[in-house]
Amino acid sequence: MTLRRKKSLEDWSLDTFILLALLVIVLITLYPFYYILVITFNAGTDTTNGGMYFWPRDFTLANYSYFLNDSKWIKALGMSLLRTLVGTALGVLFTSLVAYGLAKKDLIFRNAYFLIILFAMNFSGGLIAYYVVLRSIGLINTFGVYVIPGMLNLFFLLIAISFFRDIPEELGESARIDGASEVRIFSRIMLPVSMPLLATMCLFIGSGHWNAWLDSAYFVQNESLRTLTYRMMQVINQTSMPSGDAAASAVARTHVTPFSIQATAMVVSIVPILGVYPFLQKHFVSGMMLGSVKG
Amino acid sequence: MIRTKFSGIAFKKQLPFHVFVGLGILYLMVFSYIPMFGILIAFKNYRISSGIEGIFTSAWSGLSHFKELVDDYNFPSLVRNTLALSLLKVAFSYPVPILFAIMLSEVRHTALKRFVQTVSYLPHFVSWVVVTGIAYAFFSTGYGIFNDSLLSLGILKKPIEVLTDPGSFYGLAVSTAIWKEAGWWTIIFLAALAGIDPALYEAAEIDGAGRLRRILYITLPGLKSACIVVLILSIGSMLGGGLVGSNFEQSMLLGNPLNNDRSQIIQTYAFNVGLAQGRFSFATAIDLIQSVISLVLIFSSNFIAKRISGTGLY
Repeated sequence: MTLRRKKSLEDWSLDTFILLALLVIVLITLYPFYYILVITFNAGTDTTNGGMYFWPRDFTLANYSYFLNDSKWIKALGMSLLRTLVGTALGVLFTSLVAYGLAKKDLIFRNAYFLIILFAMNFSGGLIAYYVVLRSIGLINTFGVYVIPGMLNLFFLLIAISFFRDIPEELGESARIDGASEVRIFSRIMLPVSMPLLATMCLFIGSGHWNAWLDSAYFVQNESLRTLTYRMMQVINQTSMPSGDAAASAVARTHVTPFSIQATAMVVSIVPILGVYPFLQKHFVSGMMLGSVKG
Repeated sequence: MIRTKFSGIAFKKQLPFHVFVGLGILYLMVFSYIPMFGILIAFKNYRISSGIEGIFTSAWSGLSHFKELVDDYNFPSLVRNTLALSLLKVAFSYPVPILFAIMLSEVRHTALKRFVQTVSYLPHFVSWVVVTGIAYAFFSTGYGIFNDSLLSLGILKKPIEVLTDPGSFYGLAVSTAIWKEAGWWTIIFLAALAGIDPALYEAAEIDGAGRLRRILYITLPGLKSACIVVLILSIGSMLGGGLVGSNFEQSMLLGNPLNNDRSQIIQTYAFNVGLAQGRFSFATAIDLIQSVISLVLIFSSNFIAKRISGTGLY
């Protein structure tokens, strides 16, 4: 043993190479986030001069105070939070409810149901036909278009079915004998014992809602429904100031620029992700692996 | 007779479950199956004012929309961009998570390993909009750190217009996609590595195999089936961007009037023509062509993989 533990030249060079490579990967991944953070604490007009890499050169909180005082951004932030909360709750509950139904042992028509689901998983009518349907049922330009079309997540449906199947039947049976309805058994017994599943679903469905921008950009025209990601995209697409003349005078006073405000919005949109990251991290792998098994 | 009567009772007993499932089926009918019938639009002269009904009632137009697409002066560049982006993404992104996973597996220090993993998953949870914003912060010619640093170091003589130069678009899209998603996909390979019997490594060590040899002869073969599955998945979903993310979102966000020549792909064109110009039938025809190519890719990549290695998805 002692002999083998000695590091050979090969070991040493391999370890060094890997360590360096990982260091580079970590830097490449983290530095862009850090750089954006630096921009948000620097006067926007100064940032445009370039040459700032590691530390704010002209430190200011003006970007944040501008962001917090601009009703457009604040409304968009609120809308993003709202759609994420409502959309995640609806998506997780509806998907698991349908999964609970499908997980029932000896379910009649089971195969027919699965055929319908698997077919829907693999084929779609494309975006245009989808838009036609959304328009015809009156979802276009409503809050509903954010939360209703994503209510049934087929990927998690399959995962949830196999999860519910593994829950011992006796758990629901005793409540059933006591006369509890299926809805009650589902909400009071099945959901509480399925926390790992629900956490994984919340993470993935929630981050999907938080990051979505396409529906806000193309299915909604009402300005009060715009989300945070949409507003950020808007700044990317147009170099003009987000809020017109009033904002232009704000630039003169506070040295913010569309770019520095956008960076601030980006930081604001990353913070919630970082906030839930440590709590949900252990579920990443389970979520991914469950998925890949089904792959 | 007895049997149907019996199952009727059983069905009644299961009724709450059928209600739950029924809600889901109803949902799929509205959001999946009606849009599937919407494919008919491609062969008709559809007007949006006629609603869902119009899918079935509007007049047939045969293949005229498909012909219109082929004759469209944008068509060759659309096909070129879609294929180039897809192929480049598969080719450049595929090896990255595999190499990364192998490197991680060679790290003995658990805390370090977990730290690197945690960091590398982070971009996956960030929106494409934010990734694009970061790309703008890095590559813009005015204040972007990329040109700024290279110019001041004297490596560049004049700035590269990464964001607007059509020639830079493929590279920009592929590299940002790798940055965002490659770390995430290592999970699958790390899981496959965890399944390799440690006794193999011990035996090889006793036989005097160094670490490089162990990587070559134990780790790599141990990853084989994961590699094949992921390759099938990437090729199958190639036109959508493969595993490293959405061609559509990237082209929408990183594309602009200046790099349009390289950034416009079939999907974004369909979207723009359909929703912005209201040419719904034409756009659906474009959608449909892409879907058909995708299906062919999925089944043929799976078939080839099965032939060569005996591993397939179906």
